[in-house]
Amino acid sequence: MSHIPGVEVAPATTTVDPYVDELLGVQSPAHPTEGDVTIQNYTINFGPQHPAAHGVLRLVLELDGEIIERVDPHVGLLHRGTEKLIEYKTYAQALPYFDRLDYCSPMCMEHSYVLAVEKLLDIEVPLRAQYLRVFFAELTRISNHMLNLGSHVMDVGAMTPNLWLFEIREDCLNFFERASGARMHHNYMRPGGVHQDVPLKLLTDIADWLDTRLPRLFEDAISLVADNRIFKQRNVDIATVSRDDAIAWGFSGPMIRAAGIPWDLRKQQPYDVYARMDFEVPVGTRGDCYDRFMVRVEEVRQSARIMKQCLAEMPEGPIASDDRKVVPPKRSEMKRSMEALIHHFKLYTEGYHVPAGEVYVATESPKGEFGVFLVSDGTNKPYRCKIRPTAFSHLQAADFMSRGHMLADTTAILGAMDIVFGECDR
Amino acid sequence: MGVELHSGPVELKARPDGGAAVVAPDQEYFDSLNGELTDKGFLVTSTEELFQWARTGSLWWMTFGLACCAVEMIHVNMPRYDLERFGAAPRASPRQSDVMIVAGTLCNKMAPALRKVYDQMSEPKYVISMGSCANGGGYYHYSYSVVRGCDRIVPVDIYVPGCPPTAEALLYGVMQLQRKIRRSGSIER
Amino acid sequence: MRAPAPAYAAAGDTIAMATRAIGAGLVDAVELVGEVQLHVHRDALVPAMIALRDTPGLEYQQLMEIAGVDYPQRAERFDVVYNLLSLTRNHRVQVHVATDEEHPIPSVTGIWPVAGWLEREVYDLYGVLFEGNKDLRRILTDYGFRGHPLRKDFPMTGYTELRYSEEEKRVVYQPVQLAQDFRTFDFLSPWEGAEYILPGDEKAKPASAAPAAASPAPAALPQDKGAPTPLSADQVRKADAEGSAKEAPKASSEPYAKTTADSTADTGKGSAEPDATPKPADPDVIPTAGKGQNQ
Repeated sequence: MSHIPGVEVAPATTTVDPYVDELLGVQSPAHPTEGDVTIQNYTINFGPQHPAAHGVLRLVLELDGEIIERVDPHVGLLHRGTEKLIEYKTYAQALPYFDRLDYCSPMCMEHSYVLAVEKLLDIEVPLRAQYLRVFFAELTRISNHMLNLGSHVMDVGAMTPNLWLFEIREDCLNFFERASGARMHHNYMRPGGVHQDVPLKLLTDIADWLDTRLPRLFEDAISLVADNRIFKQRNVDIATVSRDDAIAWGFSGPMIRAAGIPWDLRKQQPYDVYARMDFEVPVGTRGDCYDRFMVRVEEVRQSARIMKQCLAEMPEGPIASDDRKVVPPKRSEMKRSMEALIHHFKLYTEGYHVPAGEVYVATESPKGEFGVFLVSDGTNKPYRCKIRPTAFSHLQAADFMSRGHMLADTTAILGAMDIVFGECDR
Repeated sequence: MGVELHSGPVELKARPDGGAAVVAPDQEYFDSLNGELTDKGFLVTSTEELFQWARTGSLWWMTFGLACCAVEMIHVNMPRYDLERFGAAPRASPRQSDVMIVAGTLCNKMAPALRKVYDQMSEPKYVISMGSCANGGGYYHYSYSVVRGCDRIVPVDIYVPGCPPTAEALLYGVMQLQRKIRRSGSIER
Repeated sequence: MRAPAPAYAAAGDTIAMATRAIGAGLVDAVELVGEVQLHVHRDALVPAMIALRDTPGLEYQQLMEIAGVDYPQRAERFDVVYNLLSLTRNHRVQVHVATDEEHPIPSVTGIWPVAGWLEREVYDLYGVLFEGNKDLRRILTDYGFRGHPLRKDFPMTGYTELRYSEEEKRVVYQPVQLAQDFRTFDFLSPWEGAEYILPGDEKAKPASAAPAAASPAPAALPQDKGAPTPLSADQVRKADAEGSAKEAPKASSEPYAKTTADSTADTGKGSAEPDATPKPADPDVIPTAGKGQNQ
């Protein structure tokens, strides 16, 4: 009987002395030693505090040696009760909760929510605001993919690219800070438009950055891993997902595209001004972790392309609807007009009333389809706001994806899934 | 004079008119220290100072990234802010770390794990509570599943406010912790 | 539609086809705010879902979401809403199923394996039972949590909170003690159909004159809401559609004119060259090297 579970020791037939066998602990099948148990599998606990778990994931892994037999992910370790809290807040007060859902791509979370509220209100959004939203949603996509690609690379053993990619991310956060005032939790998109206009210098700076710094840093960092032998050995043919599986398990975003289905909500169900944008949807061929990685790499380039188009086409004009029952007036207007002051007061105390109805609005967040199922009863607070996280369906599939792989592949599989627990657990 | 263009950091140099904009290092102190070392081959100091020097100079932090603040915690460790300048390196094992940075919302389900990690750390140990959720629940204070401040679970030394605090704020928090260790002035914690 | 929400294929004859495919199990089928809602009886859920997935012309291949909604004043208080997506037809549909605390809903894990966790979540948050789900454990809330937090009668702050007990050397639960109560304000205007009696008004009319007003408001929700708007979202949308025949832009190459509506003073947008016009000289200020006050 070996002390390493799963490793069978050949029956001792060649040993001369049975007494030596007994001393060595070698068990003959015919005469089992008392107290011996045959252990087949063992269970280990991965997390909830593990640097490769990308947050607070707890995985209960059943292993046969180093081979994974079963994965039972325990989520909810970051369950903050967001949906309950939203029911007690007005529509404007509920918006910042969306920043804090997926804290790697805050603007894209806001995007779904404001579109859902606008759909219920049926409010028109000025063109410049739509361009600004698309522009910053794509910048968010770049910054999200920087974090994910970097940490994926780091999980499988490479250190350097992460340092470069975080330099890009740091630039992105600076741009967000210049646009909204906050590095991470922007609260920038509002129902009816965006909160404030951006200075022209910011747009020109981002244009410079898109032309020079982003491609240089990004292509440098990616060239270190994209054709790297070690990186390919860790990722190619790991956790292959077929098209049928991807559909049945409710995949979306880069996960379904890596499986070979060209499904991108920006293309298929365009919102804001995505219909005017000219971009391509990358699709994987094998559906493994390497494909997921490369799909994201290409998405960064396409995002930069969309941002350049936004900069070229963005018109002048108002940045929020002039419906004063929803969008608060400008500060300068309040100094002159009593009515504007009353509107401001009402909007920041009572908030606006949203007509009764039920809508499900989903946008293409960097991680996949992020949906908001909003039920309004006509009052100033949402009756029910169900958030459709991208990570829920992906993480649930971790069981069948990692079955039969080695323990060390878990980190690659998790890294390629791009899971953030603020959004998964809500 | 027009606008000066310069690329790279501004030069730090003492002004010729003797302005005290930049404090020059105490050269005499270093000279005497250096002389003592070359003369005798050893230095004499108190154990207290030695311990404080060691403690403040290698604050290995336990990465307890829970939520949004964890992203800023990664940023402070990355090249732009580079926390390792201060000797503070991330450490994934609680046994070998000196300070735990609780970064993010602490939920009920996670609280026992937090306490267990804290108990596993070796003395002397310090805790930095990062962000308003860890400080007191913050935006999620009234939720049914959130611990209203991580100081209900572990004793906290430094609170860093913000939602999330910027990387600079966390850097400042780490420096404040070093200052606190220096000022406490005793071998025991 | 004026709002820039995601634009997918029009409903067309989806409702007619779904009515034919589902048959007797369909309770109601409506199109509201541009979204098709199919209300299905819970016993007929599984065959209805199979019909929605497999019938040519419907082809809802993906289950994206299961959401629970609680209406405490209804006899069957829970609505479970399945959001389906058709990749081939580029269309979405909502399937509503009503139930209460006791009657289970048949599980759809046999059709879509992704339903496993989604049903677990609805069970965890609402206490709706799913028959046939083999792994109906709690998923989001704490191990050993009691109650179903997203029900409307569950308080937002819950009943218990955690702290570390120095005596027991472990983390313990204790009843909630809030230092400051949640501040909630009542925005219900007395002119917009308030159902409560204002202070001082109780003596104005005898109870017989206004029996409805004297009795407490039925099934008051724990959170205070403002008065509802009279129109529903669907009515607003239809009224807007009549008023404006505006089409969402389609092609990426579509030309459009750039307009300048606001001045930079209104938008707050900076000008291209902010320092183009030099400031007038102030006789009180002596110009310095311009390196900032600390230099």
